Amino acid sequence: MATDSSSVGADFLRAVLQGAPPGAVYALVALGFVLTYQTSGVFNLAFGAQAYVSAAMYFKARLIWGWPTVWAVLLSVVVLAPLVGLTLEVLIFKHLRSASAVSKLVVAIGLAVALPNLFDIIASFKPASGVTPVGVVPGGADVFYSVFGLYRFSRNELVDMGVALVAVIGLGAVFRFSPIGLRMRAVVESARMTELNGIAASRVAAFSWALSSLFAGVAGVLIAPRFNTLGSSDFFSLMVVAIAAAAVGSLASLPLALAGGLGLGIVIAELNTFLPRWGTDSAWVRTVQDNLTPSVPFLVLFAVLALVPGIRRVQGAGDPLAGVEPPPTARAGRPDPRRALAMRLLGAVVVIGGGVVVLTRGDQLWVYQVTQAVVIAIIFLSVTVITGTGGQISLCQGAFAAIGACTVYQLAVRYDMSVLVAMLLGGLVAAAVGAILSLPVRRLGGIWTAIATLAFAYFFDAVMIKLSWVGGGAASLLRGTAVPRPTLGPWDLSHEKAFLVFAAVVLAVVAAAVVALRSGTFGRSLIALRGSEVGAQSIGISAARTRLTAFAVSAFIAGLGGGLLAISQRDVNYGANFTPFAALFWTVLVVALGSRSVPGALIAAAAFALFEPLVLDGAVVGWLTRERHPLPSLFPIDGKWLFILFGLAAIQFARHPEGLVEYGLSGRSRPARPDRPRGRRSPNTDSAAAGDAAASDQRPAMRGNRS
Amino acid sequence: MKDVLRAAGITKRFAGIVALDDVSLRIGEGERVGLIGPNGAGKTTLFNCLLGVLAADGGTVEVAGRDVSRLRAHRRARLGVGRTFQRIELFPETSVRDHLLIAERVRRGTGRLWKDLLGLGRPTAEETRRCDEVLELLGLVELADAPVERLSLGQGRLVEVGRALMTRPAMLLLDEPSSGLDRAETMALATTLREVQREQGFAILLVEHDVELVTSFTTRSYVLDFGRLIAEGPTGEVMASDAVRAAYLGTYAPPESATARTATTTRTATTTGTATTTGTATTTGTGTATTTEEEAR
Ligand SMILES: Nc1ncnc2c1ncn2[C@@H]1O[C@H](COP(=O)(O)OP(=O)(O)OP(=O)(O)O)[C@@H](O)[C@H]1O
Ligand SMILES: [Mg+2]
Repeated sequence: MATDSSSVGADFLRAVLQGAPPGAVYALVALGFVLTYQTSGVFNLAFGAQAYVSAAMYFKARLIWGWPTVWAVLLSVVVLAPLVGLTLEVLIFKHLRSASAVSKLVVAIGLAVALPNLFDIIASFKPASGVTPVGVVPGGADVFYSVFGLYRFSRNELVDMGVALVAVIGLGAVFRFSPIGLRMRAVVESARMTELNGIAASRVAAFSWALSSLFAGVAGVLIAPRFNTLGSSDFFSLMVVAIAAAAVGSLASLPLALAGGLGLGIVIAELNTFLPRWGTDSAWVRTVQDNLTPSVPFLVLFAVLALVPGIRRVQGAGDPLAGVEPPPTARAGRPDPRRALAMRLLGAVVVIGGGVVVLTRGDQLWVYQVTQAVVIAIIFLSVTVITGTGGQISLCQGAFAAIGACTVYQLAVRYDMSVLVAMLLGGLVAAAVGAILSLPVRRLGGIWTAIATLAFAYFFDAVMIKLSWVGGGAASLLRGTAVPRPTLGPWDLSHEKAFLVFAAVVLAVVAAAVVALRSGTFGRSLIALRGSEVGAQSIGISAARTRLTAFAVSAFIAGLGGGLLAISQRDVNYGANFTPFAALFWTVLVVALGSRSVPGALIAAAAFALFEPLVLDGAVVGWLTRERHPLPSLFPIDGKWLFILFGLAAIQFARHPEGLVEYGLSGRSRPARPDRPRGRRSPNTDSAAAGDAAASDQRPAMRGNRS
Repeated sequence: MKDVLRAAGITKRFAGIVALDDVSLRIGEGERVGLIGPNGAGKTTLFNCLLGVLAADGGTVEVAGRDVSRLRAHRRARLGVGRTFQRIELFPETSVRDHLLIAERVRRGTGRLWKDLLGLGRPTAEETRRCDEVLELLGLVELADAPVERLSLGQGRLVEVGRALMTRPAMLLLDEPSSGLDRAETMALATTLREVQREQGFAILLVEHDVELVTSFTTRSYVLDFGRLIAEGPTGEVMASDAVRAAYLGTYAPPESATARTATTTRTATTTGTATTTGTATTTGTGTATTTEEEAR
């Protein structure tokens, strides 16, 4: 028996042992991440979804069909997982090789949302509650083996570690001994250079997709028994941890990603052991402690961003031919002015006509739905600023909006402040948070912004929202987070129609501000920066300051919209409105439909709020056929189709980065580049630019040497 | 003559390779200086270190007598060092005029968020006039409202020059302005540059492979090979020197030239270095060797 003095050491060791099995699984996912990112340039946020698909397949085969374990594993891990990966590569990512990293990211997010739903529909799988996922060995959770009397490993945990070990050794062997492994190593070193040397990068990419997807499948099946029910969102959180692990190796190093995964598992276990002793009297620590798995990645990631100065250099220096990230491709063509005018008129007619109809004839439900669309549109305009104008993907707009909503709740309910003033202050608080958040990433840009904001979204979701001074804490559990409706002079905004008018006015003001900002110095600097960072710097534009402002402005708009959303629903409704996953959905929806222009955001908002009641529930068809319940077998259509449509929209985005709305507007009436002869290339330029030929296709730039 | 730019002991390493090794140079007011050297010699890297795009591993940079070694790229730009890029860096989806406009606005430093919000962010008459001046100077008036995607490479390079001119530079760094242009376009660009330079009197540091252009355009030149300065002096003399020929042709120079010997030793050092370092370094080394052979042909 350990005495009190020696127990710290024993506990420490015990936590190491305890953290190793989950750490091994994180490491697997992190390895897969680095593998795909390095070989195909895709930051595959659909990894969690792929893990879910394998886990669900295993669950279905093993528990519902009653297959023996071996066959279930073969089907779900050995066959299905690589197959999914290969399919994604062949059908989608192969064609996006030259797209910017950001558009690949958007596609991956779309898949992250669509894949689990697609699987659920195809396999008619329902994550049943009550049936706990099982591991791959009998009695995995019930049979224990004690190690040095310190910690008792369950069979499942031993399997986790064993499988991870085998996978890592296997990966090492592939790299060392197989020809394709050698090529993969070459691609990881320098994708462009490999291409120049005539190695078929696409074969390598396909192989590494299959391989990394296998890892995802293995990890999914292994981690599933830790969850009570299978749900794709748990797998998404698993992935966030793995991203932090991969970030430890700057998204480039496989050994460091492995170490990062193991390390994170152990750190989480250590904190689980020791935090309760140190932090018994601080509510903040307790909240962190209750939600360690989501908060540690955030803390680790920001530590990496702040403390590893090399991360910036790693980006370019890994590949001397990498150059800068290819710029966003140009618009498909100049919009045909007459067509654009017609569309604009049509839009105005629809908006005004719709407004009049809703205000005069609309019943309560309709007024409510339209109000939602209007308020959501304000939040969506924040994406127009940060992504459409600034070219950065932020995945925490939901957190910003929630900050606005919570500020309204705190100030109005607890401090009795005017709701409208509180709403403005909410925007300011969100802006401050956005500015602070941008500090570590504003010089990195690109993929790091997405990662950092994603980690923040999860941290906010897990920790911040539960604090009493943010989401209300225990008080809110008892009394809810109700928010009153204000009165504005003679108008009582608790009338739904009055509120709708008010929201529409706010939307108009914000939209006008977004347009004005874009054509002013700030917008021009931001667009310059998006086009070419070095170019912008060369005329004195400060990348750091401009990005910080962009983040603050975007967060302000999101916060304002979030506050208004809370006021409109008379409640913060955090879980229904602002969760990280919902916010992912927002960003991708806006970006896919058109983040470059205000109409894009408006249409996205309309789609978001009205698609379900209008189309999926059959309201339009019902109205057309003048029947109340026209096709009872079909309507309401399974809501999951919505997510699949969404995935398709995201995939479209990569082809039409200007957004579907603008793409439709431009009408493809003219070829993208009508008349100009390109600058002549010397022959060696052509081969040197082959790697990014398509990327630079849209601009007069090329890399070349004359001799 | 006062120096607009002075650099001392600039050193820059990439993983296994030393891209710049103790490079020092100075450029006087209104002077036209060339910087030549074979592919991969480190010319672009030197530009980036002078301008703060890359952090040098050692050495100091002074602009107009002020030490800027610790300033970021945009601060150095604001002190009056303009540049163009070897691989064009324009802003897609932006018209030619807007390129100049944003440069002018940033130079004046009058942009404010609240002004943008109130719709006061639009170009003033004064700014438009300044843009028109430069557009005219460069013969870009007809293209003023064209998006840069529609320009030819030569026009694109002119826009880069125009954008840099809007910052009223005291010195302009030009990175292979003739690359990708044909003879006529090159000559037109050179003529325009010379006129503008005479009129505005800024200094120029020109990186160029086009020997004719360098000889006719610059008065003094530096020669870089494998990251080392191997020669400097009046352009005509430098061009004729054995060291430069050796560097360009990749043959060993006669032993009486001390500088050439330095170049040779550097080369040996580099190759042995690459043999032991990572795959990246090796491939890069090979690339350099191939290009040098190409030059020889
Ligand atoms: N980001 C980088 N990472 C690693 N190595 C680099 C990087 N940039 C340049 N190098 C290497 O540094 C050396 C100098 O390159 P640099 O581009 O400065 O040459 P250069 O003289 O401009 O050549 P060119 O005439 O082809 O433009 C080369 O060996 C190059 O491969
Ligand atoms: Mg160069």
